[in-house]
Amino acid sequence: MEQRNVDRRSFLNNLGVTVGAAAAATAIPAMKPASAQTPAAPKGKIPDAPLRLGHMTFLTGPAAVLGEPSLKGHLLAAEEINAQGGILGKRKIETITADEAAGTDANVKELRRMKLSEKIDLFTGVISSGNTPALGPVAEELGALTIFVDGCTDFLWDKAVPNPKFAFRITNIQSADGVTCALAAAQTWPQVKRIAHIHPDYSYGRNAFDHFNIAFSKLVPGTEVVSEGWPKLGTTDFTAHITKAMSSNPDLIVSSVWGGDYVAMYKQALRYGMFNSAKFASTIAFGVAPHAIGKDHPEGVIAGVHANYYFTFPPGNRWPANQRFVEKYYKRWNEYPNFQSDGAYHTLYMYKTAVEKANKLTGGWPEEEAIINQLEGMYFETAAGDLYIRPDNHQGYKDAVTGFSKNVAEYPFQILDPARMITIPIRNITAPPRWPKPGSGHNDPTATYNWIKETWPQVA
Amino acid sequence: MTMTMAATGTSIWRTTIDSALVLVILAILPQVVDPYQTVLLTYGLIMAIAALGFNLLLGYTGLLSFGHSAYFGAGAYLVAFITRDLGAHSMELCIVGGMLGTLIIAAIFGFVCVRHTRIFFGILTLALSQVLWSLAFKFFWVTGGTDGIRVPYASLTLLGGLVDFKGGGSFQRFIYAYYYYVLALFAVSTTIMWVIAHSPFGKALQAIRDNETRARFVGISVRRYRWIAFMISGIFTGLAGILWVPLNGLTTPDILYWPFSGEIVFMSVLGGFRSFTGPIVGAMAFNYLKTYAIASTEYWQLLLGVVLVILVMALPAGIVGTAAQLAAKRGRSTK
Repeated sequence: MEQRNVDRRSFLNNLGVTVGAAAAATAIPAMKPASAQTPAAPKGKIPDAPLRLGHMTFLTGPAAVLGEPSLKGHLLAAEEINAQGGILGKRKIETITADEAAGTDANVKELRRMKLSEKIDLFTGVISSGNTPALGPVAEELGALTIFVDGCTDFLWDKAVPNPKFAFRITNIQSADGVTCALAAAQTWPQVKRIAHIHPDYSYGRNAFDHFNIAFSKLVPGTEVVSEGWPKLGTTDFTAHITKAMSSNPDLIVSSVWGGDYVAMYKQALRYGMFNSAKFASTIAFGVAPHAIGKDHPEGVIAGVHANYYFTFPPGNRWPANQRFVEKYYKRWNEYPNFQSDGAYHTLYMYKTAVEKANKLTGGWPEEEAIINQLEGMYFETAAGDLYIRPDNHQGYKDAVTGFSKNVAEYPFQILDPARMITIPIRNITAPPRWPKPGSGHNDPTATYNWIKETWPQVA
Repeated sequence: MTMTMAATGTSIWRTTIDSALVLVILAILPQVVDPYQTVLLTYGLIMAIAALGFNLLLGYTGLLSFGHSAYFGAGAYLVAFITRDLGAHSMELCIVGGMLGTLIIAAIFGFVCVRHTRIFFGILTLALSQVLWSLAFKFFWVTGGTDGIRVPYASLTLLGGLVDFKGGGSFQRFIYAYYYYVLALFAVSTTIMWVIAHSPFGKALQAIRDNETRARFVGISVRRYRWIAFMISGIFTGLAGILWVPLNGLTTPDILYWPFSGEIVFMSVLGGFRSFTGPIVGAMAFNYLKTYAIASTEYWQLLLGVVLVILVMALPAGIVGTAAQLAAKRGRSTK
């Protein structure tokens, strides 16, 4: 393999890492809103029994500030579809909700209840990466068509469900999150050498840690991890982790703490002056419902959105699907959407599109097999850009984004600066289809980790 | 204090006939209810075994353990290790291995804990169970951390390989086969526990519970009896953990965490820890209560809390205890 010396700037250019305006210039705006297209009359006889959908997300606890918008996105889409008479003009959507905060074991039970007892047609939602690897196999054994909104760990497709049939997932794969954060940090602060980490002590935190490190070390030679902090998920006291990170005298502090945990952490970090003592980069700080971040949040830090979506980008009417979505969402809920809202909302529209396409081919209400066939390989317009469902692992891929925090007068909370958003083409930061999975030829944490290790040049 | 109706004069035949009747009903139920109810019943029976074990300490020996998640979780994780690391597929092997492992852990923990009673005993059991939890939580390269370890039911066989679950549509087969498997083990466990509770050993435990000093004067080795009771209790709860794994499909550190110990206490209090059948009824009832609370409202924690408060205030004797009191009252008034 060719491993010639490259400099950082040309490698980042190779990866297509672009800031702000340039990114949107390459995107071709969809001229006509998908939802406004008048659908052709459905073929065949469609039953008018309502569609029963299950949606599981965090409705209680510190994770709710990130998870609850998922339900709001879902309900908004369901209301819109029902207002048009339902899917294929006949079948209206009924939603059964469940609180993901009940714990993994209770969630397994609940998915079984939804499928066996409530006879749901589609299962959606799920936020935590601790839950999808438990629920994915359950969905497969029940034969329950599932589109996870998040819980985007690589582990789900690498190990837990290597050959999915019924399970899909819409938000970007998790490894892209750590890599995106690393690219943004390397581009912005290439001088950093000493890195401190604070991550939640479960699969997501370790995934972010691993992928940040492998990507960052390829881009910035001679870096060193000087501190690791692993707070338990759902913790509210971060002082020990903050002071530990600060005392290691780092140039950069990297964190994947999320939801209400992050809100608590940044408020405590302000008291200790953590953001003045080092640069700060997060994979998912602004993944919460936007209004959860106060104006006291430090400006100019890398505040990731799980490499998925932030409502201010692309700004204005540059990507009309986003403008429309934000307007409708705000009108309905009197707040702005986060990446889960986008995921859950478009999950339903993607399902609707798949059903309509399958109906054109087969007539009547399509068999589940036909719907699955349409979902596989689907290319779909969302507020976050074009989404592609890869057939080999049923995973949704879209270009990854992250950005910098900024206070502006228009919003009563801090936002990501739309003029400084970083967009990275997804295929440049994720393992291609059929790249060896962990356990077959290598024992790295994920296929993408191995792919970066093997194929990225080391920047001199 | 009377422990059971049976113990106070109702003939053993009456108990046998009643139990047989309940067993027959439990055996017929899956034929009439939908598959999900069968799954729930299986969960209920498994938790009933755990609560029965727990109640040997609380109801019979007078020791409130706040760390029974340790034995449930130990049983569960041992099954995961046996299937993953030893490549075993036989459920019977998992049961034997898991129970032996749980016995060792219960013996060690019990040896430490039975030196104390009341709050000190409770705190010690709690602390020790949290040691196991933090091991499962932190040593993720061994235990999978919060992801836990997957144990697909399809990789297991029952009855020494006679029943397997390969091929499509196996989940339905698994639900029914596994229900009867668990029901059989539940019947055996309940019988054994009944014999233990009504044996001289069980009577000695009750004597210790009622008056430790007097028991010692009679010549009962209090600490040794408590230790043995602790081990038996641990094994029963461990068996429940073992049986729970294939049903849940994976182990997670949640079953080692202290709130799960609290649930086991809740079950016993709900059913009534002063009677033999109380924990069984309580476990079944709690299983339905929690499942449907989660399914019906996002305020499910509040709902469970309110139920617990009402229970303690209005039904201190639990479901079975209150039912027995009502029956006795009616019996008196008709005489």
